[in-house]
Amino acid sequence: MNQKKQTVSLEDLLKVKRAERPPAEFWAEFDRELRAKQLAAIVTPRPWWAPFIRVGARLSNYQLPVGAAAILALSLITLRETQTPAARPATLPDIAMPALAVGATALTQHRAELAPASAAPSAKQIAELAAPVELAATIAPGASSHAVPLEEEHPEPAEPSPSARYIAANLAAAQADDPGLMKQLFGAMVRRTEVREPVRDPLTQVAAPGETRRSRLLATALPAMATTSDVMLEPNDRAARHLTEERLYDSISRIGVKGDRVAIRF
Amino acid sequence: MDAAKTLGKTLVASPDRQQEADSDMAVVRKVQAGDVAAFDQLVMKYRERVYGVVYHLTSNREDAADLTQDAFIKAFQSVNRFQGQSSFFTWLYRIAVNSTLSHLRKSRLRTFFSFEKIDEEDRVSAEVIAALTDATGADRETFARELQEKLNEAMQKLSIKHRTVITLFEIDGLSHQEIAEVMECSVGTVRSRLHYAKQLLQSELQPYIRR
Repeated sequence: MNQKKQTVSLEDLLKVKRAERPPAEFWAEFDRELRAKQLAAIVTPRPWWAPFIRVGARLSNYQLPVGAAAILALSLITLRETQTPAARPATLPDIAMPALAVGATALTQHRAELAPASAAPSAKQIAELAAPVELAATIAPGASSHAVPLEEEHPEPAEPSPSARYIAANLAAAQADDPGLMKQLFGAMVRRTEVREPVRDPLTQVAAPGETRRSRLLATALPAMATTSDVMLEPNDRAARHLTEERLYDSISRIGVKGDRVAIRF
Repeated sequence: MDAAKTLGKTLVASPDRQQEADSDMAVVRKVQAGDVAAFDQLVMKYRERVYGVVYHLTSNREDAADLTQDAFIKAFQSVNRFQGQSSFFTWLYRIAVNSTLSHLRKSRLRTFFSFEKIDEEDRVSAEVIAALTDATGADRETFARELQEKLNEAMQKLSIKHRTVITLFEIDGLSHQEIAEVMECSVGTVRSRLHYAKQLLQSELQPYIRR
């Protein structure tokens, strides 16, 4: 026997590993714990998503075909969605023009309701109120290149519509009945329309940073000018535009105002 | 003749295994019919073998106990879906091995050992330890502990799949075919992994090998 075991192979060493066994008392504890877990497994209901895990585990064997099919399906759906006409964004004239027309009509109707039946407004006012297209024109006079081409899409009608004529007739009747009321009522509207400034390009309303800085520096350097009239400011402005910023800073450092005295350093 | 017998054993399941599988199937049918207590027979029959496989894969007795219990619970919960396409023990081993592999992947960075004692009554291991200590003159108990540590360290240096193959083949004595069924891979893959794992272990345990 000892003669036989003079050589020790890897398989023999692994047999030593096989001899690592728990003692007999270990199995009593093992059985007790297993029994408790078994009872818990019987009592506790299995979660509703347990079958999905099983399905997922089976699908995991086919990762490549399932992934490829998913990518293909997603690509097809994306392609289909991008080609659907409904997905195309609506253009501005499609939305804006009916809304404007409806708004203008509603305004004229509202005015007509306000107007007494026997009033008689002036012809100019009636023509202005009865023409909805003019309202649209006043919203964007002198429009820039980005303006919506209202006239192209909805050309101005050659003659007023029947409703406009009807409203005009009502307004004329109201003007005839109570001219004072109509004057009060439409005077404010007419004034508001006249006062309304034309829409300007927003970029033209923004002052250049250099201009702002220049005006601020001039306000401190030349305080007397700020109190003079606008007419007096014009030549000084022109003069200030000729000044470079370096010269302006230089002038600030040289001119000092204190109380009733002005000190100039050279 | 002897070599042919060994080769036959490694390639296909023995007739004893087939008989065993038939008797297991009969018990499983009872459990499926509602006899829950019949499942205890299967637990009693396979608990040590399943525990052994899990222990040799983890080298941790507490984890092995928990994972073995979990494997039996999973088998109990799924026994109604068991169709008998493979033998019950292959099915149970698959559950245990998959649970263990999943656990090892999750806790790859926090591995620590807790060993079982080497059974002193095991004749083969006693002979191996005696052969090694006679050559070196070392104390048997101390040497056995040292050898156990080295064996477990060498096993843990293997990848999970190689460790599984060497455990099932060399320690638990399954055939290549059975291992292929448990691990759901081809027999060729099993052989390849076995060869590679043995090479690695051979180099790791070279000081203890006597030719």
